[in-house]
Amino acid sequence: MSSAGSADQGAQDGEAPPQELGLVGEIGATALDLFDGARGMYSVLVRTLYYTAYGRREPGSTVHYMYEIGNKSLFFLTVVMGFIGMILVYQAGVQAKRVIPDLTLLGATYLELLIRDLAASIGALMLATRVGAGIAAEIGSMVVTEQTDALRMCAADPIDYLIKPRFFASIVMTTALIIWSAAVAFTSGMLTAYSFFEVAPRTFCNLSLIDKGDLIVGLSKCVAYGAAIPIVSGYCGLSTFGGSEGVGWATTRAVVNSSLAVIILNFFISGAGIFLFP
Amino acid sequence: MIAIEEIEKSFGHNQVLRRVKLDVPKGCLYGLIGPGASGKSILLKIIAGLIRPEGGRVVVEGQNIFEMPDIELQKFRANFGMLFQNYALFDYLTVYENIAFPLRRMTTMTEEQIRERVADRLKRVQLPGFEDRMPSGLSGGQKKRIGVARATVMQAPYVLYDEPAAGLDPVTSQRIFNLLRDEQRAAGSTVIMVSSDIERLLTVTDRVGMLYRGRLIFDGTTAEAQESQDPYVRQFVHGLVDGPL
Repeated sequence: MSSAGSADQGAQDGEAPPQELGLVGEIGATALDLFDGARGMYSVLVRTLYYTAYGRREPGSTVHYMYEIGNKSLFFLTVVMGFIGMILVYQAGVQAKRVIPDLTLLGATYLELLIRDLAASIGALMLATRVGAGIAAEIGSMVVTEQTDALRMCAADPIDYLIKPRFFASIVMTTALIIWSAAVAFTSGMLTAYSFFEVAPRTFCNLSLIDKGDLIVGLSKCVAYGAAIPIVSGYCGLSTFGGSEGVGWATTRAVVNSSLAVIILNFFISGAGIFLFP
Repeated sequence: MIAIEEIEKSFGHNQVLRRVKLDVPKGCLYGLIGPGASGKSILLKIIAGLIRPEGGRVVVEGQNIFEMPDIELQKFRANFGMLFQNYALFDYLTVYENIAFPLRRMTTMTEEQIRERVADRLKRVQLPGFEDRMPSGLSGGQKKRIGVARATVMQAPYVLYDEPAAGLDPVTSQRIFNLLRDEQRAAGSTVIMVSSDIERLLTVTDRVGMLYRGRLIFDGTTAEAQESQDPYVRQFVHGLVDGPL
């Protein structure tokens, strides 16, 4: 038998009191937190790609999440993009008429804008709220109920088992949904142009300004956003701590960070697009 | 044998474990006791390699698990079964799928063999015919028993139980402890069990360790724990109101 008898010492040297950081310390701590977050997300991305090559195939799981992400977001995106298409074309028409009364290129410029930027970015921001929140809440609640630990005890890395199938499902369905969103926004814009500015649909459907560069930039954004949303949200879910309050925070962080990721990726891909396909 | 050497772990400013040193002999049912927030569950997760400590080693079968690469550690966990405090049943899978999960991930057993093993486990935990139930439709005691079935389905040499009887009535609680003891004897496995239900825990353990504020203040046989004159151990084991705790 051994009785260390050191409990008194333990009682005396309990928790160290938190130190006051001051302004510079707070800024430094925030910077370190941001750095840790970025490193964590990068680690999740790298491990997701690793498991893509060497991980275990879970039959049907990617298809299941494609349904969860895709089918269940269809109505939401259709409504949002329909209204956005109407608003954008109406505002563009009103502004353009003040400068030049000729609106024959309204459809062509609108379509270029949709394909190169707006459909992907607005659609992805909508998906970041719906899909990102769902992923973070689901994984976060698994974390707080120790289900992710149970997965690890069964030789199932949560990144392989939970994030990888969502990653692929998100890339495929984000691309498909954004193409659909662009079609919806274009159609609603066309109807608006016809109703308010008497632009004939045949005039509005003008593909003359679309080139290979627009398609490449647009598709690159679809893939990048589709990859970013599950990685960022998955990381937020996996870093959940505490109970239901922690899940709430993880969900909020997932929506904010996924949206931020979409905006930042948009900036860089658009910049690269302007440079490569002027 | 599991050798825990000078384990240290902190969360922020809160030091949870302080140079914990403990040997759990092969085939032993070891009870880990201590007041709330003394670091018991954290130590259990460290032993399973789920949490990495800041200092110290956990040596299992001669190997320091924290020197293993992640992928190797993942495979090494096939040597462990674990029952979690909150059951940790996968709520989107049926009882059958939950118990079969480790077998599917870590063995090359056929579906027929898996079916037989799962049926055997369910019989052992006295829940035969529960295969198609969902965890949400089970009581707390049933969830615990399904958790035990999943923790023991691999017939791993090391099994860790975190609060196996928390929240259960005294009869169900004693049944769970007896079941775990029978399982341990039948498999000859090494078991570490964390429980706050001292009275029942001590009916099944071979050895006991007590953690207090992150330090291991006692390590000995069950009889020694019951007769200990250390004021902390004595107060905790006998549930006395007066004392240093």
